[in-house]
Parts: sequence; structure tokens; C-alpha cells
Amino acid sequence: MGLIEPQTGFPPLGTAKDVTGFLRLDNVTKTYVSDGQPVQALCGVSLAVRDGEFIALVGRSGCGKSTLLNLAGAMDFPTSGRVLLDGVSTSDVNENGLTRLRREKVGFIFQSFQLLNTLTVLENVELPLLLAGESDACDRAQQQLDLVELGDLGSRMPHQLSGGQMQRVAIARAMVHSPKLLLADEPTGNLDTVTGNVILEGLRRIADEGKTAILMATHSSESAAFTDAIVKMRDGRIQEVVRP
Amino acid sequence: MSRLRLFYRLILRPLHREPLRTFLVVLAVALGVAVVLALELAGDAAAGSFRSSIETLTGDADLEVTAIGGVPDEVIGKLATLPYSITVRPRIEDYAVVKATGQTVPLVGLDLIAEHPENLNLDRQNSAKADEIADTANQGVWISQRLGAKAGDKIRLQINDQTNEYLVRGVLKDSGDSGGLVLMDIATAQRALHRLGRVDRVLLKVPSTPSLEEWEQRLRAVLPAGVELRREGSQTDENRRMLSAFRWNLRILSYVALVVGAFLIFNTISVSVVRRRPEIGIVRALGASRSDVLTAFLGEAACFGFIGGLLGILSGRLLASGAVGLLGATVDNLYVSSRPAPIELTPGTILFGLAIGVGMSLASAASPAREASLVAPIEAMARGEREYAARVHKVRDLWIAVVLAVFGAAASLAPAIAGKPFFGYASALLMIAACAFAIPALVSGLTAVSSQLLRRIAGVEAFLASRSLAASLRRTSVLVGALATAIAMTTSVGIMVGSFRQTVQVWMDNQLTADLFLRPAGDPAVDRHPTIDPSLADKIALLPGVAGVDRFRGYEISYQGLPASLGSADTVGAHDLEKIQFLSGRRTSVVNAELRSGANAVVSEPFANKHHVRAGDVITLPLGAAQVPFRVVDIFYDYGSEKGFIVVDRSIMLRYVPDPAPSNLAVYVATGSSVDQVRAEVEKIASGHNLMIFTNRNLRTEAIRIFDRTFAITYALEVVAVTVAIIGIAGALLALVIDRRRELGLLRFLGAAVSQIRKLILVEAGLIGLLANLAGLALGIVLSLLLIFVINKQSFGWTIQFHWPIAVLLSALTLVYVATVLAGFYPARVAARLDPIEVVHEE
Ligand SMILES: Nc1ncnc2c1ncn2[C@@H]1O[C@H](COP(=O)(O)OP(=O)(O)OP(=O)(O)O)[C@@H](O)[C@H]1O
Ligand SMILES: [Mg+2]
Repeated sequence: MGLIEPQTGFPPLGTAKDVTGFLRLDNVTKTYVSDGQPVQALCGVSLAVRDGEFIALVGRSGCGKSTLLNLAGAMDFPTSGRVLLDGVSTSDVNENGLTRLRREKVGFIFQSFQLLNTLTVLENVELPLLLAGESDACDRAQQQLDLVELGDLGSRMPHQLSGGQMQRVAIARAMVHSPKLLLADEPTGNLDTVTGNVILEGLRRIADEGKTAILMATHSSESAAFTDAIVKMRDGRIQEVVRP
Repeated sequence: MSRLRLFYRLILRPLHREPLRTFLVVLAVALGVAVVLALELAGDAAAGSFRSSIETLTGDADLEVTAIGGVPDEVIGKLATLPYSITVRPRIEDYAVVKATGQTVPLVGLDLIAEHPENLNLDRQNSAKADEIADTANQGVWISQRLGAKAGDKIRLQINDQTNEYLVRGVLKDSGDSGGLVLMDIATAQRALHRLGRVDRVLLKVPSTPSLEEWEQRLRAVLPAGVELRREGSQTDENRRMLSAFRWNLRILSYVALVVGAFLIFNTISVSVVRRRPEIGIVRALGASRSDVLTAFLGEAACFGFIGGLLGILSGRLLASGAVGLLGATVDNLYVSSRPAPIELTPGTILFGLAIGVGMSLASAASPAREASLVAPIEAMARGEREYAARVHKVRDLWIAVVLAVFGAAASLAPAIAGKPFFGYASALLMIAACAFAIPALVSGLTAVSSQLLRRIAGVEAFLASRSLAASLRRTSVLVGALATAIAMTTSVGIMVGSFRQTVQVWMDNQLTADLFLRPAGDPAVDRHPTIDPSLADKIALLPGVAGVDRFRGYEISYQGLPASLGSADTVGAHDLEKIQFLSGRRTSVVNAELRSGANAVVSEPFANKHHVRAGDVITLPLGAAQVPFRVVDIFYDYGSEKGFIVVDRSIMLRYVPDPAPSNLAVYVATGSSVDQVRAEVEKIASGHNLMIFTNRNLRTEAIRIFDRTFAITYALEVVAVTVAIIGIAGALLALVIDRRRELGLLRFLGAAVSQIRKLILVEAGLIGLLANLAGLALGIVLSLLLIFVINKQSFGWTIQFHWPIAVLLSALTLVYVATVLAGFYPARVAARLDPIEVVHEE
């Protein structure tokens, strides 16, 4: 059984000191204001993720999973508390620094794949490298496609792929710059169970290589079976952390 | 009612949510409508009355009698003594320059003793009593209120080359139009103009029975052959006919602005159809019929058209005030001294404005609206909207383009109909359409070739930009098409006017060989030929250092129902005519010898084209007491007058019209003598005369200045068309940003910096500009050939040599290009400010 430390403000996965991970959240609160009403999306969340760890965020719709992922990817900032990426608080980094951080250290995958329909599969994978101005984009993208076993489909357009293939392309794209942190928001939400499991196995393999930590929001407890730890959320708080 | 609510929710509310884009589309329609309306209104005002400014105080005459060089007094006597009760009102008609203001105003001489005072429109308080007029008639002038003097004041007037002081006897009420007027007793006027024994026109009022035709026949019988009898107001009809080609060309030019606007409506509606396909699918699945969808989208277009039309009417009225000055200058310089009438915004014009606004919107929305109505309910479940966006049949379209171009080329070979180049217009329209159909192939071809290249040169943003343009091929094509049409118009008119200008310059270099030119002071006009004291030419010829003096005299005549100019020129030892270029290529001395030898004439190229006259033909001119046949011995190039010139030898002319006063003098300075010295001598001799003396260089500068003023209106039109297009581009780019916000947000997730997003949009704007410049330049060159060799030739009869106005073209294209990129700035800003989280999770 896992250790249960709800709402203590302590890092749930080990103590702050002995965790040497890339991502850490310290007592993070996120409040949206919609129509003049404050909405507490996250409330005093603390979390540390070790390198190479595969963590599932589960909880009911609206419990704050996506919000947490956005904060973790420095796409958004906490109302209070700190999100530390590589030991630096995201709120202290300027726009250029954040862009560089995303380019080098973070990858995203989405429920609806989000491939660019105007580009070929290979070009989609190349994109993060091109945006970062790197030179050997084509070779590295091809390697990454080979890893997800889609090496032959590089010249196809996204709409010529199945959903599972699209998501594998999205994974290849997210991994092409070897990020330290991969953020996945319901990556299997649009896929059937079998296809979803293929995707999850892929993510598991990435985590097993030990270089990339994965934070995945999901509805299904089955997908949680592939992970190292399950963080159960409710109403913007971490309710329970379970290690299978 | 529920339909309306649905329409509001599904169509109007989205518009409301994107106010800027909606505004830009409406603005594009408004500008298109405004241009068309402004030109219509200004055209009506500047030339719309088609009345020469001399047509004043004409009363209710039925017929008029005219003759080249004036109607002799005997004719008046004959008419007055006929045993019929007809009113005979002889008139002197010319122009005077008010020295205080430099304004040229019509000068009318009437028989004030016989004239009914009611006809004169006197301002009672400010004038001598009616019964006094008779007593004081020969002592002064009556002037219109506008000239600002009172009874008893003195006014200095220049008539021909003489300036004298006249006593103002009374003031005439202004009759609504804006020009001034000087009225004299006919005898005073004859004296002032040295026109003793002749009047310019005799107005006749005949009893209502028998018919006017009957009266014409009766009177014709007693008049000498060289005197013309026609309906009063014929001049106005002739002017109308003369100006109609000009107005047609202007009208067509203004429609180009509409075409550009139509492109943009088409773009907006097709974008909203593509964007809302799933939504349309849902509405269809919920029970909306095909025609509901069709009506909804047409309704959207009609809203754009209606609001744009309203705005267009208002701004068109404002633009018209500006345009009327420009147009007036063109009409004055090319055709007739006109008087701008007030601009009138009638209910008819308002309806017309709304009709073209709504009509153009509906027409351009028809095809996308139809496409919307064909969306199947099942598409509610479709996941990719983008496949539809890219569905353009570029190969088929390219074939259509080829076919259209072939038809266009064929149409350009067809002759004019009633002096109007309708096939030329059709050809231009076909070419524009061909270009529009060829653009998808151009865009996809060029972006395919260039995307890898761009990636290497301008980075990943350029690569993405070119890809996304190629992917939304239809939208890109429409944008490029709109901008290209505007550029083509600018280019073609630029090339045409530039070529024309160059041609005129070359022509002047050949033609204007004299060293000094003299004419009576005052603004020049094509239909005014004030004269110079005949003795002056002889005196100048005797001056030391003068090699020769050429005399030229111009008359305004009517030939086959159209106004024309008749001139008599010295051909003996004439230096001036030495370099005139003839269509036959013959030497001037040879042609001159033929002119001197008898009733021979040369005509200008526009005259020849207008009246289908060829060398060897005979034209008959009413001169003096006879109809004189002249053989046309050659045709000369002329760019000074659109209505056309007939030139005969001076000595021959004097046989029929014994008025020796020339209207222009050309002085040749002997080799070795100084032009400045001769000029000083000429000035001394001419000191008692109000003359303008131009050196050769002055005259050319002056001519080019007038040329530029004449074509100012076309430049103004170009600016408007390009503005419409740029506004459209800005709106369309904004729509592009809104539609692609998910993609732009995603790029941020993938590590794109804000600056890269901004650059992406700017590169797209730049690419659109580049493609449009390419297509526009190509189309523009084709259109300029049509303008120069078909439309202008058929409308006006000018042979224009094709020239490349490189500097003008380059600067215009650069300007358009910069403007397009600037138009991308706001959309780029919007793109940079998008919240990536929001837009990515929106779906
Ligand atoms: N931009 C926003 N403005 C206002 N409220 C927001 C915003 N984004 C999220 N919220 C609110 O914050 C809470 C958490 O949202 P979040 O998207 O993180 O939920 P989630 O756990 O990802 O749900 P789901 O499983 O349905 O994706 C919700 O109550 C939501 O309504
Ligand atoms: Mg979510």
C-alpha cells in the first residue's frame, strides 16, 4: 500500500530534501476568476516528481488535473505557492526563459492529438526542433518516429492516420527534444482500450529509460495501472497518493 | 419570428463577436460603393449638365443659327424681316478674364434694347431700372452677383488680348450654378471682340404651329449654305455624346473597386462557411432545411451589403466633393469649359448605392452560400473541417483560366460599338476573371516550390506560413486575387498614363520647335480661342533676330453631331509644321504644299478615328456662305485635343472667313540670336496687349502640368482601390488568425516564442503581398495593353506608344507591398496575445 499524507503540505512522494526531480510544486494554489466569481482550481497542492517517474493524476472532471499540468509546463502560473522546474520558480522566469524551458525540457501530449494538419507527419515531429532552431531536425524526427514504429508513415498527412497512430506521432513529437518532463492530458481519452494500452505501454517504456518523468492526467484507473504512482485529486486538492 | 431569432443567433451574433473583422468587411463594401457613387455624382456635377458654361441667358429658344467664324449681320436682318412672328435674338459669346481675380468667365453680348428684361434675371435693388437699360445699354456691363461688384463699381476685364475698365451697370442674380457671368450690350461686345458685322449665335423662338420640323425647313430655305440651323441645346447633346465615352471609362475604372470589394465579401462568406461546417451540420441534423441555410448565409451577405451600402452612400457623397474638382479639371482640359453643378444626392442615387452594395454582396456570396446549403447533416460528426477548406480544383480552374483568357484575347480584337469599346471592357473583365482562376495554381505551385527554400532562408516561421497558405488554398487565392486585381488596376493605369505622358513628351519634342509661343493671357482651355491683334504678328516678324512667325487660329465647330476644333495655320515657310508627324510618314513640307494648293485639310488622329475619316476622303465644312468640301490629304498625330482637329491652310481659310486675328503665335529665333533678347523685344512690342509668352521649355512644362492635372482623377481612383484591398487583407488576416488560433496556441506548447508567432503572421502577409504583386503585375501588363491599344484607342482615338514607367511601377509595387505587410501587424499582435491554454483546450 502507498503512504497516505493528505493535505499536509508535505511532498507526498518522499520528503522535499531527498527528491532530486525536475518538477516540484510547493503549496500551489490556482484561482480563476470567471464572471467575477473566484474559482479555486487548485488549493495547496504540493508534489514532487522524480526523474524517470511515471505518475497518473486521477479524479473527477473539474478537479484540477489540467490546471496542474498547465502549471507544471509553465504555460500558466500559480496564484500562490511555487512551481519549481529544475529548481527555478516558473514565476521568476521571463517570457524568453519560459520559452527556452519548454523547448528544451518539457513535452506535451493532448487528448485530441493536436497535430498540425498542414504539415506531414515527419514535419510535425520536426516542429519543436525547428522552432528551437536546431539543425539535425529531420534525422532526429525520423529516429523518434521509428521509436513509435511509424517510421514509414513520415510523408503522410495527419488526417490519413488513425487516432492511435496520431497519438503516437504526438508522442514522438513531444519526445523529439528529449524533454525531462512529459505532460500528458488524457492521452487515451479519444482511443479505445486496446489502442490506449499501446500508447500507455509506449509511455511506460519512455519512463523506464529513466530520463523523462511523465505526469499524466487520466479518468481511467486501468491506465493508472501502467504508472509508478497514482495521485488522486478532488476539488483542487490531492486526496491520496497510491503506489501500486 | 423563430426564423429571425435563429438567424440572429447563428449569423448575426457571431458577426457581433468579431466586431473588427465585421467592420473591415463592411468598410470594404462601403469603399467600393463610395467610389462608384462618388464618380457618378461628381461626374454628373462636373459634366453632368453637359452644358457649356456659355449656355446662359438663353431663354426659351427653339432653334439656333451658327456659323464658323460667326453669323453675318445680313443673316440676322434676313431672319428678322421674314413674314413670320419669330423672335430673333442674336448673341455674342466669348470669355473674359476678370483681372482682379484672374477668373475666366463667360462673356455674353445680347441686344439689350430689344431683350425682354424678364429674361435677364436682374437683381432689382442693385441695378438700373429696366427702362433705363435701353438708355444706358452701350455704356457698361452687367455682372453676376458672384463676381462681387455693385452697380456703379468699375471692373477691369481682359477680352482677347486687351484689358479695359468697364462700368458695372447692374447685377444679375445667380441662377444656381457656380460660374460668374459678364453681360454686355451686343454692340459693345462686338466692338470689344473686334467682331463687327458678325454674331456668334442667333437664337430663334418660333410659334408652336406648324411643327418645329416645318419651321426648320422653312428657315433652312432662306439661310445661306454655310450657316447652320439646328435645335437649341444641340451643343449640350453634342457635349453629352462627346463625354459619354470618357464617363464610361471612368465608370468602368470605378467598378474595379467594386470587384475588389466583391472578392473580399466572397472570402468572408466562404471562410465563415468553412469554419462553421460542423455547426451547419448540427443545425441541419436538428431540422434546418437546405434553403434555410442558403437564406441564412445570403442574409448575412445582404446585411454586409446593406450596411456597407449605407456607409458607402455617405462617404461617396463626401468623396464626390473632392472628386468633382479633379473631374472638372479633366473635363475642362480635354473637352469643354464646364461649370460644376451642385452635387445632388437624389433618392435615385441612394437606391442605386444600396442596390450595388447589396447586389454585389449577394452575387459574391452566392457560391459559398450554396456550398453551405449542401453540407450534409452527417458532417456534424465530422472531425476535420480542413479537408474542405483545401478542396479547390486548381487544375480545372487553370483550364477555365486558359479558356477565359483566349476569349478575352478574342474580344480585344473586336471593334467598338457606337464609339464605345464594350468588347474591350469585356476583354478586360475576362482577363481579370482568368487571372482569378489561375491564382490557385499559382499559389500552390509557388508555395510548393518555395516552402523548403523559405525554410532555409527565412526559418521555420516562413516554412509554416507558406504551408498554411497552401493548405487554405481557396482563402489564400481569394485574398491574392483581390489584392492582385487592385494592383493590376494600379499597374495598368500607371503604365497607360505613364506611356501616354511619355508619348506626349516625345510628340512635343518633335512638334514644338519654335522658340517663343504667344497667346492671350488667362487659363487655357480646349474650347476657347481668344485672339491676338492681327498686326502684332507682322510687327514681331520684322524684329531683328526673328527668323519667322507662324500664326494659328482655332475655331470650335460641330462636325457630324460632335464638337470638333477647326484650325488654320501658316504653311508658307512654316517652321512650326515642319516637324509634324503624319500617319503616312510623309515629310511635312510635302503635306504643306498640298494644303496650300487648294481645298485640302489634314485631320488629327482622334478626329479620323471618331469620324472614320481616311486620307483621300472628303469632309464638308460650312464656311461663310457655302458648304466647302475639303479633301483630307493626311492624318497627324495629336494629343492635345480629344475631340479632334481639322487643320487647313491659313490663306485658304481667310477666303471663307475673313477674320485675320490669330489665336496663337509661334516665333522662331534666327540662329545666332539670343532667345532672351528676342523675347525682351517681343515683350516690348506686345506691351499694350495682354499676352502670355512662353519659351519652348515653359510651354512643355505647362503642357505636362495640364496633363498631370487631367489624369489626377485616375491616380485618386487607384489609391482608393488599393486601400480597399489593403483593408480587405487586414480583415482576412485577422480572420486567419482567429481561425487558426488553436494551431497558433499549439505552437506555443511546442516551444514557439511569441516573437515567432508574430513573425509567422507577418511572413504570411508578406507572402500574400508577394504572390499578389506577381499576379497583379502580370495581369496589369495585360490590362495596360488592352487600355492602350484597345480601350483608349477605341474611346479616344489616340495612338499611345507603350512605355515602361519603371520608377512609377517600382515605387507603387513597393508601396503596396509595404502596406500589405503593415496590414499584417494588427493580426500579428492579436496572434501573439492569444492565450495558448484557452485556445488549445477550446475544442
Ligand atoms: N480559464 C478558466 N477560467 C475559469 N475557470 C477555469 C478555467 N480553467 C479551468 N477552470 C475551472 O477550474 C477547475 C479545474 O479545471 P480543470 O480543467 O483543471 O479540470 P480537469 O480536472 O482537467 O477536468 P477534466 O477531467 O474534465 O478535463 C474547473 O472547475 C474549471 O471550471
Ligand atoms: Mg482536463
